[in-house]
Amino acid sequence: MEDYKFLFKVVLVGNAGVGKTCLVRRFTQGLFPPGQGATIGVDFMIKTVEIENEKVKLQIWDTAGQERFRSITHSYYRSAHALILVYDISCQPTFDCLPDWLKEIEEYASSKVLRVLVGNKIDRDDREIPTHVGEDFAQRHNMYYLETSAKESDNVENLFVKIATELMEQAKSKELPRYDEINSQNINRRTTSIDVTCCGN
Amino acid sequence: MESSQIADFNFSNQLKFNIQDLTSQEDSGESSDEFSPENEFLTEEHRKLYSQLTQKENEVENELEKLLSRHCHLETKIRGITKVLPNLEIIHSDAKQLYEMISFASTLAENVSHKVRKLDIARSRVSECQQRVHDLLDLQLCCDGVQTSMNSGDFEKAAAHIHRYLAMDQNLLEKTADDVHQDSKSVNNSISLLKEAAVKLQEILTSKFNDAVAKQDSNSVERFFKLFPLLGMHDYGIEKFSDYLVDKVETSSRKHMKTASETSLTDKRAAVLYSDLLTHLFEDIARTIETHQPLVETYYGPGRLLKLVCRLQDECDRASQAVLSEMWRSRGLEKLTSSIKSGTHKSRGDPKEFDQLLGELATAHSRYSLYLHFLRRKISMDTEEEKQPTVLAALEEKLKSCVLCRTMEELLSAYLILEHHYMEESVRKAIAMDTIESGSQCSSMIDDVFFIVKKSIRRASSTGSIDGVCAVINNACGVLENEMCTKLNATLKQGYPTGYLDLAQAYSMIHARLQPSDTEQAKSLFIAHLNNTEIGSEYVTTLASGLAQEVQCPTQTDRSKLEGCLSGLSSVCAAMGMAQDLGLQQLANAAIKPRLAPWIDSFLALSHNLTEEEFSSYEANEPFVRSLIANIDGIVSEFRSSLTSGNFESLVTFLADEVNSQMERVIMKMEFNRLGGLALEREVRALTGYLNSTTSMSIRERLARLGQVAKLLNMEKINEISDIWTRFNWRLAPGEVKKVLKLRVDFPKEEIMKLKL
Ligand SMILES: Nc1nc2c(ncn2[C@@H]2O[C@H](COP(=O)(O)OP(=O)(O)OP(=O)(O)O)[C@@H](O)[C@H]2O)c(=O)[nH]1
Ligand SMILES: [Mg+2]
Repeated sequence: MEDYKFLFKVVLVGNAGVGKTCLVRRFTQGLFPPGQGATIGVDFMIKTVEIENEKVKLQIWDTAGQERFRSITHSYYRSAHALILVYDISCQPTFDCLPDWLKEIEEYASSKVLRVLVGNKIDRDDREIPTHVGEDFAQRHNMYYLETSAKESDNVENLFVKIATELMEQAKSKELPRYDEINSQNINRRTTSIDVTCCGN
Repeated sequence: MESSQIADFNFSNQLKFNIQDLTSQEDSGESSDEFSPENEFLTEEHRKLYSQLTQKENEVENELEKLLSRHCHLETKIRGITKVLPNLEIIHSDAKQLYEMISFASTLAENVSHKVRKLDIARSRVSECQQRVHDLLDLQLCCDGVQTSMNSGDFEKAAAHIHRYLAMDQNLLEKTADDVHQDSKSVNNSISLLKEAAVKLQEILTSKFNDAVAKQDSNSVERFFKLFPLLGMHDYGIEKFSDYLVDKVETSSRKHMKTASETSLTDKRAAVLYSDLLTHLFEDIARTIETHQPLVETYYGPGRLLKLVCRLQDECDRASQAVLSEMWRSRGLEKLTSSIKSGTHKSRGDPKEFDQLLGELATAHSRYSLYLHFLRRKISMDTEEEKQPTVLAALEEKLKSCVLCRTMEELLSAYLILEHHYMEESVRKAIAMDTIESGSQCSSMIDDVFFIVKKSIRRASSTGSIDGVCAVINNACGVLENEMCTKLNATLKQGYPTGYLDLAQAYSMIHARLQPSDTEQAKSLFIAHLNNTEIGSEYVTTLASGLAQEVQCPTQTDRSKLEGCLSGLSSVCAAMGMAQDLGLQQLANAAIKPRLAPWIDSFLALSHNLTEEEFSSYEANEPFVRSLIANIDGIVSEFRSSLTSGNFESLVTFLADEVNSQMERVIMKMEFNRLGGLALEREVRALTGYLNSTTSMSIRERLARLGQVAKLLNMEKINEISDIWTRFNWRLAPGEVKKVLKLRVDFPKEEIMKLKL
């Protein structure tokens, strides 16, 4: 068994081109990928962060924003612990779509999921959505709000660390099932565990 | 050497001078002795000065001695240096000699290499000259040859001549023509003749190739295709040849489309019409590439295949579009997916039809995955190692932007919506039609549900898309938790219906108007669903490890994606386990606790304050333990065959726990003497032995506390406790031990209080 105490699934959603992949790359690899194309289906990354001396493993699912991948991406909502809904502060239409995204989240995600609204690309000087508008929207829909720049590495680490911290606190207060318990769950003194890493690697 | 000797001298002289200085100072000191201390006129001050002087004199004398002692040491050193000096002279001259030798050698080498260089230049000029002579000779030969072979229709030979001519350095050739003054005319003549011939041959080959294409004469097409590169027309040749191949593919795919449109609905391939068409198309293209790749590589060299593939891909886009849009239309995919998405879909007609459609979609995508895999493999085989990344990236760029890929992604999306719907509906149906077959511990839903889920995931896996399989696995987790676990949980939450009425149960039974046979049915349903939770967990675990092995993952990212999604199945296990815990608790509450209590309460009526006589008759009759075991055995055999082994073991464990705590409860209300304690310990042993024999696992630990209570009550004397207190791992706290000991009527209370534990 790997050395971590908590495992959380984090899923990024939002319109195509708002910078989901860039945010994930910035966080997991510390770089701003030049000219990578639109995501096909879903991308998967793992990063372990340390919070209050505890190792927290984040399973990050970076979904494609394009419409034709929706039936793939919807399947990831249900088991997500946190959903990051991203829009581009310099592109009004990506903000206008937020209600549609919320509808999808309502339909497919768990009601307990941690929801975070992120306005990305704050390095750009052609901002179309003022900070307070994003904040208001988030507040009205009971979401956390953060503004980031994947390009300038602004607030990106903070975004994921905040999520990890919040989820860990929730898990500690038992609102969430803890994954390490589930992975080797002790049901009536019999151990049921699923070992998926039995082949390959 | 001399100079250093001089320096040496100077140094020793200086030393001597210094010494003289000092001695003269001393002399002057002596002269001051004339002021004898007796001199009465001497003042205090003079005295002081005198003592100072004396002190100084001493100091100077000391220093002088030190310096003089070093003098001897220094002199030996100087002598040593003097001895070494001649050696230095030798080294110096040796070095000088070496230097001369080396500089001589270097000049020599310089000279030699200069000559070698000159020689080299001369040689390369000679070979260049030879080359020119060759070229001139060949030029003449080619010039003569090309005419005759062109006239005789031997285009291979003519092209070879032109190729030879083109291989010559054209600039050099013209310079040679200038150099050979007397013959310049004939050389220039040959060049222009060949240039003309090249142009003419290009024209001839082009038209011959076109003729061959028009006549569908594949031998001639190939014949002329091979000649283009000899005239330096690589790109042109590939282009023309691609056009020709595209044409062939197009003809073939039109033919397939036509046959397809004539296929009757009752034909046995009708259900897979479109995946068949796509298969034909991909196979046509793959075969075309496969058969012509050697030709291209042999005559055009490596790295030319990409261009051909790209041209064929354009045709593939066109043809596949025709197939897919027809499929989309005639299978009603648009309507199906949107009605499912909006939740208005009515499962019309035959579920088998739906199954077939899913099969067709999965097959179509699977063929597409194989086709892409084929293209990637062919292109990487056609490319030199170092160019592979760029060429493969170019292929990916082409594929990413092609219509086929976009449409197939849309197709996969539709497939996933349908598959999810199919899985959900079928699972619901299986749960609705749940039955309990005699001889089976579980109900039918467990096998049915897992059959459906496995089928869906396997089908998704056949598409060759990792994102596709992962999505279906995610959906399967949702369906298993939302449909199956919810259903099992609901059954188990209702509790195990017993025929043994307590008031509350009787009351609810009257209200629900349950018939006894209803109770029997409800009982077996409860048991079957409880067993479902155990078997379900096992199935999920097996499913996950099976999938981890059988799903093909081309890249490491794909594998970690798959593993990430499979880990979702463990939360299904957890949900199943929670339902199971609930069920076991309910079963125990209904079938064990209420029945066990009165049986054990009967123990209260049996005095354990026994005389010898009473003891012997008690031992002979075993009034309590025999009937208790018989009663418990009734429960155990009721569930032994109906519960799965894990559930049965859990139930027995629960039973043991209950016996343990309830026995202790009644014992604490009784009195014992020595013989009563002995009887008790025998009874407890019998109970433990029986319970332990019911399952293969050890149950003794569960009854350890009761055993210890019995052991305490069976002590001969109270001070035995100090002996056994250290020997066991006590489940009883010291306070509890004392409480138990107080049950012995023959143990004085004060002594018990005094015990130090
Ligand atoms: N100026 C600026 N540009 C950004 C930032 N983040 C992303 N971009 C650019 O936005 C474009 C799209 O970024 P992606 O990360 O691919 O967007 P995505 O949300 O993953 O898109 P899909 O995968 O299609 O859903 C790229 O050209 C990035 O360079 C940012 O913080 N600042
Ligand atoms: Mg992306």
